[in-house]
Amino acid sequence: MNKNIYYPPGGILLWIIIFLELITFGMALVAMVYYDTLEPEVFHTSRLQLNSTIGTVNTIFLIVSGYFMAVSVRYFKNNKVKKSSLFLKLTMLGGLLFLILKSFEYSHKIELGLTIGYNTFYTFYWLLTLFHVIHVIVGLVILVSVHIGINKKKTSTNIEDVEASAAFWHMCDLIWLLLFPIIYLLF
Amino acid sequence: MKKLNIILSVLILLTVIAAVTSELEMKYAVFALIGFAIIKFIGVTFFFMDLRKAHTFWKVAILIFLLIFTTSILLIG
Repeated sequence: MNKNIYYPPGGILLWIIIFLELITFGMALVAMVYYDTLEPEVFHTSRLQLNSTIGTVNTIFLIVSGYFMAVSVRYFKNNKVKKSSLFLKLTMLGGLLFLILKSFEYSHKIELGLTIGYNTFYTFYWLLTLFHVIHVIVGLVILVSVHIGINKKKTSTNIEDVEASAAFWHMCDLIWLLLFPIIYLLF
Repeated sequence: MKKLNIILSVLILLTVIAAVTSELEMKYAVFALIGFAIIKFIGVTFFFMDLRKAHTFWKVAILIFLLIFTTSILLIG
């Protein structure tokens, strides 16, 4: 592992993106907590309408998926491409399960009329979680492309590519770790 | 790999504890929930993302972000 300041795991450009994303989501969450002080009743009743079990299970899906990603990177570093590929598939499965459960949750909310304009809480809920879902979808596309790359016989995909895709995937995990307790549990 | 397995178990355990804590409606639940989130965040960055092997700058940067985020949430909330 290179301890050079310009080479964090995944590359400096990706880490700049990670910090920008964390700051953006962080500021939005701080704003959400501020609005809770203005409308505590609305936030509390709205929070109780969310299914915290779905949120918890989704958190576990992303954590386990992140674990598989970390294992995949380690196998790739040790030139065990087949095992790395297997764990990459499991990583993507975790992401897919997250999206399936999120879709179920979204459809239920839409059926109840709890859409983006319902109240301030749901404006934050939809904006933050949908923005996160977009990141998960982009992450999955990146993982699929890396998976195809490492399974080619004459591949140009190297450890830097795998580490960069892993860093992006873990970023989705990190954002969710901040969103989950505040949106589903705090108010 | 053994270390990763331990971290995974801790992360899942903290997630379940956080969900249970929120149901109990304890007085200081907010501190516990944010605290669990911070521990999980550090677990993912330092172990899954291997940040512990990176230059000190990146470790300090992530800890500063967490400090500012946590302080803001707790002060405003």
